[in-house]
Amino acid sequence: MKMKHQAEPQNWLELYGDLLFQYALPRVNDSMVAEDLVQETFLSALKALSGYKGEASEKNWLFSILKNKIIDHYRKKAREREMNDFPDLQQLTDEWFDEEGNWAENKMPKDWHNAEDLIERKEMQKIINWCKEHLKSVQQQVFTLKYMEELDSEQICKVLNISSSNYWVLIHRAKLQMRDCVEKHWLKN
Amino acid sequence: MMKFIKKHLMISCREATLIMAKREENKLSFTERLNLFIHTSMCSLCSKFQKQTSKIGKESRHIHAEQILPDEVKDRLQKLINRN
Repeated sequence: MKMKHQAEPQNWLELYGDLLFQYALPRVNDSMVAEDLVQETFLSALKALSGYKGEASEKNWLFSILKNKIIDHYRKKAREREMNDFPDLQQLTDEWFDEEGNWAENKMPKDWHNAEDLIERKEMQKIINWCKEHLKSVQQQVFTLKYMEELDSEQICKVLNISSSNYWVLIHRAKLQMRDCVEKHWLKN
Repeated sequence: MMKFIKKHLMISCREATLIMAKREENKLSFTERLNLFIHTSMCSLCSKFQKQTSKIGKESRHIHAEQILPDEVKDRLQKLINRN
């Protein structure tokens, strides 16, 4: 016999409130926004309660609603984006490589010690989060949707309303920037 | 000879790191795949780049904040849920 899950909204906050918030916060970088997304998640879930068939666990169901809210948040941000928030991709100077496309002397990847156990992985995650917060806006959005929300390039282009050629330039730069920043902090450990 | 190979037959590090992003989504043509394979097997810097950025990608999805919801927000949310 397969057990169906029963939704118990009165327990949602206690059971999942902090978990939802802790997931949302690093993905939107603003605690007020993260609080709003948790609230909207609960409200949408309450409205959809009759549609909840108990096939997914309550937790997974709430998280899938939250993930949609996060994507909506980015869609809205893209709509509100001013022209000059968008980097002129042609104009960006290429600090990473020389004219022939070889690594610039001061940007060459160095050897890292591995993050093996949980404590070291947590440390690396903290560094990644810090570095992500310091990416420029559109690069940060692309990075978050790609690596934290695991959307693919086509989905990201639609959500952020960017062309696919701009996408590849942005993700390339975001990766270069992130790797460099993580390395600086990781090797200090 | 090596210089000739590097200049005429190999893609640059800039190109290699650019198409790595496409590789993550299996969007490479056969030639691109081959070029990238040859490049990373000869270029230790780009092969480091590949490993390290893939590590960053893998850890990113596990990132969670340590902060929890402030009490006043919890009160508000609980009332909201009870009302509905």
